[in-house]
Amino acid sequence: MFILSLFQWLQSTDIMTFIRESGLTYPTIMSTHLACIAVFGGMIVITDLRLLGWAFQNRPIADIVNGLRWWKRLGFVIMVTMGFLLFGSKAAEYDPNPYFWTKMTFLALVGVHALIFRPSVYNHPEALDASPLIPTRAKVAGALSLILWTGVLCNGRLIGYYEPPSQKGRVVSTARN
Amino acid sequence: MLLIQTNAIADALNSSEWVFPITECFHIAAFAWSIGLIALVDFRLLGLGLKRETVSQVAKATAPWTLLGLAVVLLSGPVLFLSDPRMYLYNPSFRFKIGALAIAIIFNYTIHRKVALSESSSTAVRVLTGVVSLALWVSVVFGGLFIAFA
Repeated sequence: MFILSLFQWLQSTDIMTFIRESGLTYPTIMSTHLACIAVFGGMIVITDLRLLGWAFQNRPIADIVNGLRWWKRLGFVIMVTMGFLLFGSKAAEYDPNPYFWTKMTFLALVGVHALIFRPSVYNHPEALDASPLIPTRAKVAGALSLILWTGVLCNGRLIGYYEPPSQKGRVVSTARN
Repeated sequence: MLLIQTNAIADALNSSEWVFPITECFHIAAFAWSIGLIALVDFRLLGLGLKRETVSQVAKATAPWTLLGLAVVLLSGPVLFLSDPRMYLYNPSFRFKIGALAIAIIFNYTIHRKVALSESSSTAVRVLTGVVSLALWVSVVFGGLFIAFA
């Protein structure tokens, strides 16, 4: 109940009301969110593929991890900002949506993944390059990252398909794109 | 028109409430995958990102994975389209998206590829190619999303 009232308050703020009520702002923010996923998602993909040993095999892991680190952070900040605006403008509708909470769970797991693997993998890629074979922990980090981000992405899309019980059968305008 | 509106794929898609969303998840995951990998080459053309690798190294390392992603995009896309061809064909955002997509794919496998694989392209040509490529693919994403709002 506390969460719902918090969401209702957020949704009623001036900026969130503006986003919800102006015709083009909402889809433009959503498109930016999606374009960032496409543009910056590739950085996550190539890092994971390198850790798995499936791409850039003849280039150091350190090149890929270090070269993309700040770009990934920048992309993440833009994605989260856009995502928060989308969520905030319709926050009360998100509260009962199971896909929203599943997505947040996957995002939290991405955070746990970072806590676990940053010290041993991402912060010391040179140590991985010094090893004759890619260490198992690096491959596990890459594989888990791909799985977790796919979970974030799919559940993010499914948010648009959820119909609250009282509105079953109503055509959801964002359901199909 | 009536013929493609009443096709077997549309029946399958519309008979279960899960087929369309799951196909769409594949579509979105695969386009994020392929566009993101192309964007890595674009960033490199702009002198950003994987600066310790040459442009052609980035292009070669990503190419097979980009192709895999595009294959999934181009297989799942028509399936989504066939669920309701009439709606899509008359949708201006859909038409824009398909036009941008066709240009983006042709550009990617002609000019973009040639410039990325050449070690002797001038900075101006590289920057221009990277900017055009990013603009084309972002247009495809915007067009795709606006299908639901137009």
